[in-house]
Amino acid sequence: MEDNSTPNRMSRRRFLQSGALAGAGLAFGAPSILSAAANRAPSDEIKVAFIGCGAQQQVLFNAMRNIPGIHYQAVCDIMRDRLGGAFGRIRGTFGYNPNRYDDVEEMLRKETDLDAVVVSTPDFWHSRHTNWSLEAGLHVFCEKMMAHTLEDARSMVLTAERTGKLCQINHQRRSNPRYRYTLDKLINGHRLCGTINNVNGQWNRSVGASQDIQVRESIIPDQKTLNKYGFANSHQFSNWRWYRDLSGGPISDLGAHQIDIFNWFLGGMPKSVMASGGRNYFTHREHSDNVMAIFEYDTPTHGEVRAFYQVLTTTSAGGGYYESFMGTEGTIQMSEQRQYTNIYRESTAPSWNGLVNRNVVRLTAAAVSAAAGDAVASYESPPLEQYDLPGVFNKPVHQPHLENFFDSIRGRATLNCDARTAFETEAPIFWVNPAADSKDPIRFTDAHLKVEQKTISQI
Amino acid sequence: MSPTVNATDSLGSMLAMLLLRLWLGLRALQTGVEKFAGYAAREEVVEVDGEPNAYGLTDVDTDKVYALSHMRGVPASMYDRFLGEPLIPAFGLTVFDLVLAPLLLVLGVMILLGIALRCSLFAMGLVYTSLTFGLILLGQDAGIAWLGTHILLIVAALLFVQHNRFSIMKSY
Repeated sequence: MEDNSTPNRMSRRRFLQSGALAGAGLAFGAPSILSAAANRAPSDEIKVAFIGCGAQQQVLFNAMRNIPGIHYQAVCDIMRDRLGGAFGRIRGTFGYNPNRYDDVEEMLRKETDLDAVVVSTPDFWHSRHTNWSLEAGLHVFCEKMMAHTLEDARSMVLTAERTGKLCQINHQRRSNPRYRYTLDKLINGHRLCGTINNVNGQWNRSVGASQDIQVRESIIPDQKTLNKYGFANSHQFSNWRWYRDLSGGPISDLGAHQIDIFNWFLGGMPKSVMASGGRNYFTHREHSDNVMAIFEYDTPTHGEVRAFYQVLTTTSAGGGYYESFMGTEGTIQMSEQRQYTNIYRESTAPSWNGLVNRNVVRLTAAAVSAAAGDAVASYESPPLEQYDLPGVFNKPVHQPHLENFFDSIRGRATLNCDARTAFETEAPIFWVNPAADSKDPIRFTDAHLKVEQKTISQI
Repeated sequence: MSPTVNATDSLGSMLAMLLLRLWLGLRALQTGVEKFAGYAAREEVVEVDGEPNAYGLTDVDTDKVYALSHMRGVPASMYDRFLGEPLIPAFGLTVFDLVLAPLLLVLGVMILLGIALRCSLFAMGLVYTSLTFGLILLGQDAGIAWLGTHILLIVAALLFVQHNRFSIMKSY
C-alpha cells in the first residue's frame, strides 16, 4: 500500500492560482469551496483526468460525453483492460488519445495542466486520491461514499477547504431536476405532504443481481500489484464492496444515496439510529446482505420524524428502490426511476385540482375502492388518488451533477454537494453497521456527525 | 429407389436450400438495416404555473427512425472496447465500422436473390468469422457460440447449394 504522505508536486501556476483563490476567500469571505474563480473564460476547456476506470467510470463518462467544453487528458487505473476500455471510449467518442497511467502519483506529477479529476476508485482509496489531487491544485469530483472511514472523510473536507479547490461528492440525486422540483415545489412550496412524520426508503435487489463479480484471472493485475494497492487477492479486487476493510457494504453502497435524500429533504441530520442486519444468504461475505435501520429526526418543519430504511440483496420484490415521504395529506414516493415514482393524495387533504390545472402535478389515477370481498369496512382507509410529476428528466442521471461540478469550476454555479455537505449527510450512514453489530441504538453527538470533532475515540 | 421417392427428396432438398437462403439472407439484410436505426426524441419543456419550469422537466416522445447519420457498424459499447485492444488497429476498426452495415445489406440481398450464391455465402461466412474474432478478444463466449450456429447454417447452405433454384445468377 502506498503511504499517505502528500508529495510536493504543485506547479508554480497552480500554486499561484490556489494562493490567489485562498487570498480572495480570506479577503472577501467568499464561499470559494462552492464555486471556483470566475476569471475563467466561459469557453475555457476543462482538462480532466479519470482516476479509476471501472464500471462506474464508464457510467460517469457516458454522462459526461454530452457536456461540452471538457478535454479528457488522462486516464489512470491499475488494471490494463479497464485502462484500455477507458482509453477506447474517449478515443472512439472524441478522436484523440488520452494519456494512460497505472499510478496516480505519477499522473499527478506529469500532467501539469490538469484542471480536475474524477475519482471512481474503491471507497477505501477515495480520501487519498482526493486529497492528493486537491493538494496538487485540482478540483475533484469523487464518488460516494466519500471515504471508508469518518476520519478519512474529515480529512477530505479539511483539505478541500484549506486548498480552496472544489470537491463535489457524487450524491447525484441532489442535482436531479425531478428531485429538486419535488423538494422545492411540492414538499416545501405547496406542502403537498402536509406534515411528514414518517419516511420509508428501500433498495431491494435480487440474489441474481447481487452475485460476486466474476473477472477473468488473466486480466486481473498480478499479486504484487494487488497487495501494493490493498487487495489481498483477486476476489477482493473485483468484490471489494463485500469486505469490511475496504467498504461499508450494501448500506453504504446502495443506502448512501437514499439516506442522503432523507437528510436533504428533511433539512438536517438524524439524532439517533437503531439497526439490524445479518448474513442470511451470502454467508461467506463479511458484510450483512440484508440491513434495516431506523433513524429519528427532530426537524424544524415537520417536528419528530422517523425514517426507516432497508437494503436487501436477497430479494427484488417490494417495488425496487425509492424514498417515500409520508405526510398527513399526501405521500411522495421518489426514485431515480420514473416507474417507482408515485404521488398519493390522502382523501382528507384539500383538493389538488388547482395544482393539476396549473400542471404542478398530473393526475394519473382516480381513487378506486378495492372491491375485495375480504375487506372489513371498518378497518379500511379511503382509497388514494394517484399523481405524477409534470414531466420527466431525459438525460443520464449523473449528468446534471457533473454539469453542476463543471459549471462551478467555471464560476457559474455553486456545488450541490460539496465535501462538507457530503460529510454531514454520510456521517449517520457510517454508524449503521456499528449499531447493527451492537444491537444497541446510537444517539448521535457532535463526535459522531461533525467535521470539526477530530477524535472518534472520545465517544 | 423409385422415381417418386427421388422426386420427393429433390423437392425436399430444394425447399431446404430455399429456407436456408431466406433465413440467412433475411438475417443479414435486416441486421444491416438495423445498423441504420436510431431514436429521435421530441422533447418539450413542461410549463408549470403557465411558464416553462426552471428545473428542466420535459415531455418526451421517442420514435425509432432509420437514417444514414445513425449508421454504426460496430455498436458503440464494443467499439470503445476494441479501441483498447492491441490486436485491432484503430484504422482497421474504423474501416470495419464503415463497411459492415453496407456489406450486410449487399450480402443479404445477394443471398436472398441467389446472386453468385457460393461466393456470397462464403463472404457471409467470412464476415461472421471476423465478428467471432472480435468477440474472442472481448471474451464473449455466448456470442461466439451464437455466431458459430450461423457458420453451421452457412456450411449447410453451401453443402445444399446444388439444390439451389430460383436464382438470378447461378454461376459462382
